[in-house]
Amino acid sequence: MQITQSQISDYKLLEFSGNLDTATSPAAEKEIIECIENGDLKFVFNFEQTKYMSSSGLRVLLSTAKKLKGKGELKISNLNSVIEEVFDVSGFSSILNVYKTQEEAIS
Amino acid sequence: MQKILVVDDEPLNINILIELLKPKYKMMAAKNGIQALKAARSSNKPDLILLDIMMPEMDGYEVCETLKADEATKDIPIIFVSAMNEDSDETKGLSLGAVDYITKPISPTILQARVQTHLALKQQAQEIKEAHELIKIQQLRMQDELNVARDIQLSMVPKTFPDFDAVDIFAVLEPAREIGGDLYDVFMIDDESLCMVVGDVSGKGAPAALFMAMAKTLIKSYASSDLSTASIVTRVNDELCLNNDESLFVTLFVSILNIYTGELRFTNAGHNYPYIIKEDKSLVTINQKHGPVVAAMDELIYKEDSVVLDKNDTLFLYTDGVTEAMNNDEELYSEKRLEKFLANSDVKDVKSTINNLMNDIKTYEDGNAQTDDITVLSCFYTGQNILATGDISIFNKLENIATVIDSFDNFCKTNNIDDSYNQKVNLSLDDLINNIISYGYKDENEHKIDIQFKLFDEKLMIIIEDDGIPFNPFNHDETDTFLSIEDREIGGLGIHLIKKLMSTCRYDRKANKNIVTLTINIK
Repeated sequence: MQITQSQISDYKLLEFSGNLDTATSPAAEKEIIECIENGDLKFVFNFEQTKYMSSSGLRVLLSTAKKLKGKGELKISNLNSVIEEVFDVSGFSSILNVYKTQEEAIS
Repeated sequence: MQKILVVDDEPLNINILIELLKPKYKMMAAKNGIQALKAARSSNKPDLILLDIMMPEMDGYEVCETLKADEATKDIPIIFVSAMNEDSDETKGLSLGAVDYITKPISPTILQARVQTHLALKQQAQEIKEAHELIKIQQLRMQDELNVARDIQLSMVPKTFPDFDAVDIFAVLEPAREIGGDLYDVFMIDDESLCMVVGDVSGKGAPAALFMAMAKTLIKSYASSDLSTASIVTRVNDELCLNNDESLFVTLFVSILNIYTGELRFTNAGHNYPYIIKEDKSLVTINQKHGPVVAAMDELIYKEDSVVLDKNDTLFLYTDGVTEAMNNDEELYSEKRLEKFLANSDVKDVKSTINNLMNDIKTYEDGNAQTDDITVLSCFYTGQNILATGDISIFNKLENIATVIDSFDNFCKTNNIDDSYNQKVNLSLDDLINNIISYGYKDENEHKIDIQFKLFDEKLMIIIEDDGIPFNPFNHDETDTFLSIEDREIGGLGIHLIKKLMSTCRYDRKANKNIVTLTINIK
């Protein structure tokens, strides 16, 4: 799992490469918390290079969304069909802001 | 006190009779036919009528005829008292339904004796009638009870059958007119083990039906935690031997088919031999015996055998009601006829074959009443090919999960399994093994976790075995996925996802191991 960070206009863009599961979630969560502590409050997470996400990964997204609630923003983009299905059956698609593309998320 | 009605147009005659009988009976009088009919039909009706014949307007014959034609009064005994003493008069009176005929002048002793006799006879007739009605009511009640028991028996056996690509199953139980104790059952023990049972309880009636219900329930209950037919039958035998005051017993054929490998394990306890019908129509008799009828003797150890069903084999189980069906010449339907029937049937079509067989038996019986329950169960085994298998074992460290995922990725790549199935299984493996490693062990020792992958024609199966504390991951409340972010607890979500993404999820605890079996249907 690799996370590439960049800044596009107001948003901190995190591009995930690899799966978000038991093995990778702790490191991913740590990196996200560091960004928040450094003052980043508006995020776009791009999952184009992620094949699957287990509940460990979902937990990271959920805790991030909770941390930003009321003071920031979390947008999710570029989910493949399996993760989209996971978002649907878990109800995450209705509680997180999900966009087809990174561009849609930022505009 | 019994009541006697005297009917006469001559008051003097009335008085004589009343005086004679008054000491022993309650007396009533009528001066003509109309009054007599009225008195006989009243709520205070007489137990006996002394009836004059010669009366104006309506004579005694007509009164008698009218009373005998009326359901409410026809049972009141009538004695004609008349001055007409020709034989023809007496004959006419008796032919109208009177019980006796006394001629005037009357002899007091004869009158008293005859009245007494007829009242006693009436009393007896009444008692017989009441007894008869009681019997009729009891008979109806017994018939009701038999019907109830028959309904119980029929409602106990399944009418729908496990629906798998690998097997096609149908079964019929046709009870004889009086209920007997045949049984069959078909159910899945786990994702690959199909249990099929046929049995025949000795005796008939409600006790046999109840015994049948007990046997069937015990088999299903033991089979849920036991894949050995020998052990199931051994335990059922011990249980049924307890409190078996009626000395009932049951013949049983208990079998467990692995629908993926075709292996059929079975125990035959005094039951008639089933058949396997091969694709080329040749018949194989499954003639191994593993012990006597069940419930006859306790502490017996039953044995088991196994046979492998080839693709397109048909397993045919039945009770002796089939072969012992009788025609009007008391000849049996016989195994020979059954074998010939099967050889000439399209046994792949299990439903039609069984329905045709039932018709063939009916035709053979030719109206002769069915004396025993008839049960037939047939299973056509299409089989599923195992295309590929893989396995990997890890120790209980979270970082080892990645090795399992890698291994499964390779399995999918080698076997051209679509990426979406691959990823759904990946996330399931990640969540389930994470749970096992995080919560499954109460010590610090190393534990092995075994994972198997099996690819069938239309199904992918994943089996995860661990020796952690007993824990059924699927036995937890559904996560409420409609809660907002603040209300939502973190946890429980993984299992929810797995249940939704996999086609079947199953948990078993066997030999101190947790066994989770997941399947996902693939095209």
